[in-house]
Amino acid sequence: MDILLFNLIWVIPLLTVLVCIPIPASHAKLLRGLHTASASAVLLMVCYLAYRVFMLSGTPASDAASPLVLRFLTDIPWLTMFNAHYIVGADGLNILLLALTAFIVWGGVLVSYNIKGNQKVFFALIQLLATSVYGVYMSFDLVLFFVFYEMEALCMYLMIACYGSGRRDYGGKKLTLTLAFGSSMILATLFGLYFESGANSWNLIEIAKTTIPMEFQMWAFPLMFMGFAVSSSLFPFHFWSPDGHSAAPTAVSMLAAGVMMKMGAYGCLRVAMFLMPEAAKVWLPYVVALLIFNVVLGPFIALRHKDLKYITAYSSISHLGLIFLGLAAMTPVGLRGASLQMISHGFLTGLFFATIGMIYERTHTRDITEMGGIMRKMPFLGVGFVIAGFAGLGLPGFSGFIAESNIFIGAFQQESTLTRIVTILAILSITTTAVYILQTANRMLHGPLPQKYEGLTDGCFREKLVIVVLVACLLFIGVCPGPFADLLDQSIAPIFAKISAATQPVTSGIGG
Amino acid sequence: MFDFNIPGFIVPDILLLIFPFIVIGSRLFCSAQSKVPWRIANIGFIAIFVLLNLIPIATGEGRFFITNWRVDDFGVLMREVLMVSAILGIWFAKDYFEHGADGKPQMHQIAEFIGAIAFATFGGFTVVSACDMLTLFLGLEIATIPMYALTAWNKKDQLGSEAATKYILMGSVATAFELFGFSYLYGFAGSLHFSEIQAAVATGTSPLLWVAVLFLFCGIGFKLTLFPFYTWAPDVYEGAPTPVTAVLSVTSKATAIAFLAVLVFGPLQPVIDKINPLIALLAGTTLFVGNLGALKQSRLRRFMAYSSIAQAGYIMVALLGPEATAKTAIIYYLFVYAVSNYLAFFIFGIIGHHREETFASLRGLSKQDVNLAIALAISMFSLAGIPPLAGFFGKFHLFFCGAANGHYMLVAFAVLNNVLALFYYIQLIKSAWVDEPDGHLTPLRLTKRQRGVIILLSVMVVILGFLPFLSNNVFAGFNF
Repeated sequence: MDILLFNLIWVIPLLTVLVCIPIPASHAKLLRGLHTASASAVLLMVCYLAYRVFMLSGTPASDAASPLVLRFLTDIPWLTMFNAHYIVGADGLNILLLALTAFIVWGGVLVSYNIKGNQKVFFALIQLLATSVYGVYMSFDLVLFFVFYEMEALCMYLMIACYGSGRRDYGGKKLTLTLAFGSSMILATLFGLYFESGANSWNLIEIAKTTIPMEFQMWAFPLMFMGFAVSSSLFPFHFWSPDGHSAAPTAVSMLAAGVMMKMGAYGCLRVAMFLMPEAAKVWLPYVVALLIFNVVLGPFIALRHKDLKYITAYSSISHLGLIFLGLAAMTPVGLRGASLQMISHGFLTGLFFATIGMIYERTHTRDITEMGGIMRKMPFLGVGFVIAGFAGLGLPGFSGFIAESNIFIGAFQQESTLTRIVTILAILSITTTAVYILQTANRMLHGPLPQKYEGLTDGCFREKLVIVVLVACLLFIGVCPGPFADLLDQSIAPIFAKISAATQPVTSGIGG
Repeated sequence: MFDFNIPGFIVPDILLLIFPFIVIGSRLFCSAQSKVPWRIANIGFIAIFVLLNLIPIATGEGRFFITNWRVDDFGVLMREVLMVSAILGIWFAKDYFEHGADGKPQMHQIAEFIGAIAFATFGGFTVVSACDMLTLFLGLEIATIPMYALTAWNKKDQLGSEAATKYILMGSVATAFELFGFSYLYGFAGSLHFSEIQAAVATGTSPLLWVAVLFLFCGIGFKLTLFPFYTWAPDVYEGAPTPVTAVLSVTSKATAIAFLAVLVFGPLQPVIDKINPLIALLAGTTLFVGNLGALKQSRLRRFMAYSSIAQAGYIMVALLGPEATAKTAIIYYLFVYAVSNYLAFFIFGIIGHHREETFASLRGLSKQDVNLAIALAISMFSLAGIPPLAGFFGKFHLFFCGAANGHYMLVAFAVLNNVLALFYYIQLIKSAWVDEPDGHLTPLRLTKRQRGVIILLSVMVVILGFLPFLSNNVFAGFNF
């Protein structure tokens, strides 16, 4: 039963699209209702399944030899011509990411009721995007994983270019092509993993049992890691994110920043670091150097921007940098912090983009210099924005604090001077974050109200519901992080075990 | 000498050869604009396709007049691909002639048109099942010569005549190269039969063999539009009538790649390791040049020409793999390529009925006819190789095949080129989806039949990839 429900997670959005095909686009109300119902159903299912995984924790997996403890494991031969299987399963890490996705998709559908243009196509694309993200987190077969991973490019471009604002074609193209560049790097290494590992299987678990030759790992790991990092906007591949986010419609920004950018970090952890731990040990210290841009310069760039979405995009870049800091620490605490940050930042940035979208829908500008006194007209949206900001700068009580403190502790445990310096810089950069968040909130929400904003109204029930639910999630993780940390620890343990077991035969560094 | 005992495996071929005569003959008994010839052809072609699927005796080896045939599973599946292309080709032709090149229906021409397509397909049949050099050459010529005629179909169209002239000149040179290669191969092995050539190649090589191989690749390079012999393609694709372009891009490409596969895994098998660098070089340069050329095009069919040049490069990657995987990959890819390509050309054909065939004519398509715009996006994303569409799985299979023999660098290069390809396919999607409608464009009117074909092809592109029935059931029973 649970297995069936688990597999339905990605099937339901797809079915919704199929069901909606015969309904004419003029029945917008019916279409919206159907999509909301399907997103809510998936949300409930995922929450139930996350609860089930939590209750099952501690019991051994069905396959004792498997290095990962997976629940709801399904393994069906799929494309025999190249030996691909349909393998999905859940552990603590991906079930939480699935829950995050379900929340953001649900919120994304709810905030898009007033989107201009062909709503039928728009909601269908959102559901396709949801399918692909769910699929990425669920799959343990590399072909299946890649199919879902690359699928998002198709939806992303159409959604941004057709329903976006500003330089939408430019932003959409930049985003899609950069992401496609990243996934092409991944694809090139996938073939190598299949043949060089000797497992002759795309099954992640089977490949994890083998030791991949070091010569192959040495070039494949950076390629694959950077390929994944592209979608998490690690410097120097961050440039797509501000343009892409600012051009995208609200729901797409929420999904892109909230869940899609996590797919990269998830891939780095689950595929690149898990399968090639030896090379990870060699290469990850160099990644830390790249993080100086993300973590330290990101907030400063955000400080200089006037467009709300650019500010949020750079804030996302810096928060995602922290995820990589946690990954590069390669300590259990750091990895736990990184995965917590993935989830926490998903809710946080979803809330951010949701409130920005709602405010933009009313003011028709995102330039903070043109705004002012919004708090008087839209207290609810204003408070939502401030809460998102506070959660973003890591205020205790919100999930961001838990995640970031874990990352900093974990990174400092790493006995490398560079990592420690970057960690200290990252901690200091929280101040910069506070500056741009407070400055933005101040300019936008307080001060004199421009004449043209006299007639504005506060959020409607639907919008308030989204804000309340997302804030509740942030608070829940922040106040009671125990169960989440437990869940994550279980799934990080095998990954860390593999990393710590990896001997480091190459001492000469790059090039081996 | 002559053996009139007709073996079973050759029945579809003979039917296909008889068919054009029936279709052309039927014109004598019906009115000028009658659809009867088309209907006969349609039923006949579908019957041959079904026959290929049904008869288990479709494989075998034998001598027929002076030609030697060996129909194996690869041959049967390639025939099916060619038949799919022929069926879609005549569907497309009906569309074209009902509308006519200059607005007047020209259904009276369709019988001859179908005849030419049938002969070209028969040529393909011969190539995929030849087992001596003479048969191979005959097949190749039968496949090519009708194409020359088809390209120059519109007598009044100067662009078409120019294209046909160019095509004939280039094609003849290519044929000469091939014949030269064949003659050297004969000189080297002392026989025309594949098995004897293979035996001779296995015992030892000589410079004579390398000259022959080089000339053979030059000759086939023309037909497969490989770098640096691709230059005729954009002009011919643009000058020929749209259905001809579609047939040209699928049938003749399929024939040419089958020719290469037959040679590389047949007589040249013993020296395959030495030929692989040449194949890798041709594949890499072709897909790069094709993608590069497509970047700056603004006319739809020129654009498709470069896109199909690039696709030829991708298919070449598969030739580097182990034989069985390579043949499966090639057939599967050709099949999904045929469907995606026909879908694209079908849409371009409809556009061409009403408007000029440029990117600008697609402006605002999503606002005028969203279903057509979705179909266009599906075909373009499939050609670009974006999952979950069929094109992705086809390309994945090709790359998998290349990687199986350790050609990681080439595979990585091809995969990176995919990003370049995505860029120009997105350009086209942008015209249809993002640009505002242009009020000066004539509105598009689609008949029920056109809509039906487009929906059928779109659904096929969507499901052919991830539904495993094709790969699992079709390929499981075959051995290559």
